[in-house]
Amino acid sequence: MTAITVRDLSRSYGGFEAVRRVSFEVARGEIFALLGRNGAGKTTTLELLAGFQRPDAGQVRVLGLDPVKDRRAVRRSTGIMLQEAGFFPDLTVNQTAESWRAFVPSARPAFEALELAGLLQKAAVKVRQLSGGEKRRLDLALALLGRPKVLFLDEPTTGMDPEGRRATWEVVRSLADEGTAILLTTHYLDEAQQLARSVAIMDKGEIVTTGGMAEILAAGTGRVIFEALPGIDPSSLPLPVRVEGGRWVCSADDPDLAAQTLLGWAAAQGVRLRGLEVRTASLEELFLEVGTDA
Amino acid sequence: MRETLTVARFAGRLYWRDRVVLTVGLALPLGLGIGLPVMMHRLGATADTRTHLGVLAMVFTIIAFQQAAITLTARRDQLVAKRMRATGLGDGSILAGEIANIALQAVVQVMIISVALWVMGVLPPPAQPVLFAAWVVVGAIVLAALGAAFTVVVPRAELAPVLAMPFFMLAGLGSGGFGPLIELLPGWVAQVLGWWPGIAVADALGETYTGGTDYLPAILRVGAGVILAALVIHRAFRWEPRR
Repeated sequence: MTAITVRDLSRSYGGFEAVRRVSFEVARGEIFALLGRNGAGKTTTLELLAGFQRPDAGQVRVLGLDPVKDRRAVRRSTGIMLQEAGFFPDLTVNQTAESWRAFVPSARPAFEALELAGLLQKAAVKVRQLSGGEKRRLDLALALLGRPKVLFLDEPTTGMDPEGRRATWEVVRSLADEGTAILLTTHYLDEAQQLARSVAIMDKGEIVTTGGMAEILAAGTGRVIFEALPGIDPSSLPLPVRVEGGRWVCSADDPDLAAQTLLGWAAAQGVRLRGLEVRTASLEELFLEVGTDA
Repeated sequence: MRETLTVARFAGRLYWRDRVVLTVGLALPLGLGIGLPVMMHRLGATADTRTHLGVLAMVFTIIAFQQAAITLTARRDQLVAKRMRATGLGDGSILAGEIANIALQAVVQVMIISVALWVMGVLPPPAQPVLFAAWVVVGAIVLAALGAAFTVVVPRAELAPVLAMPFFMLAGLGSGGFGPLIELLPGWVAQVLGWWPGIAVADALGETYTGGTDYLPAILRVGAGVILAALVIHRAFRWEPRR
């Protein structure tokens, strides 16, 4: 069942088109990653979905409702972890969560939200004394207070240590398993690859690639990677390779066939391809390719 | 209404926790409102009702107008207002709750000042105490709402006190809070300054002290302030800093 529908969404600031004809859907229980460089339009898209801004054109529906016209109804079923939002620095973590409970209908107990976000042991600490990663966790706790059916996560693990990131991933996965639709923006491509079932890559306000994570990765260019061959000119190989550090990388639509070609050439030359690795592109490689093409 | 009260209660808790706010928003008005007339009384000068009303116009301007401008620009610049909008609260409830809290602080302080001066024998009580209380409430709400509207021209939170200060000075000048300086200026200056709701409310409070009935001029001027605040907030209030 669809939780978020976006059709031909556009938003400009003056003459600058921040979002151009963006369309996608997110189902209940799905984690959808919206990726792109800084200024690609991710946060604007998310703020349009959350009803903070009014679109210039196109349609947005969250749980079947218009997030601008039906903002209060939408907010009652959504949790939002903003990329930037302030706290009251002199309140403790627990006081912050307890205060926020009053603003959220049918809120879960503060300790439960703090426990989910891994912040229970900091309940008595003032917000001003939290690290950047801990503030993100508090952000997450506040977003989870209302038992949201749709969760918007804008750069959720920025500033977190590796342990915190993994703990947050577990929370996000478990929420999706319970049926929460999650729209995630992140700069950590490994995070998107770990969590998301679907992905859209934005560039200059447009979606340049979208689809299921597995199919996008499978459709991307593969890689054959091996250690540099001493005394051999890379241009003499039967397939084009590029030098990345001490390794040679051959990009190919069919990496298995490319590997066979290179191995055949190496056998004929009497050389060995050490550290040979044949794989599909990672999301990071795909992201960089898409960004370069766009 | 429930949401407005929730926000007002929360804002009230924050208000009483903030020492800086308490210094500016509590100690200064109380010192000015009680200390000045008492000092004049003890020095043998006449601490008349007019001086008291002039001081009240200034106190309203500091506690309600300036404090609303400071608080709401700070909430906006620290992105706390944006976070509050991310909850199920309506925009109107958030704004009304913040204004209600600031108005309540203003009402409490003006009442403390007025009662203290009466108890200390500096001033007589108002002839119409219920109307006096009603006008104090109206004045506090209107000036707090104007403070919220004023945030649209405040670029950064730290500039809010500075930009609001001229209104305090003009309120003091126009209401007689600084003494009868206004009488030395052309008549139109007093007429123009009289449109400031702080002064209009002080005039109405003056009627409650004397038992007068001429409230219409104050109602018109305060009404104009209400319409102005509502229009500006509706059309231009910003919940986030400019990008």
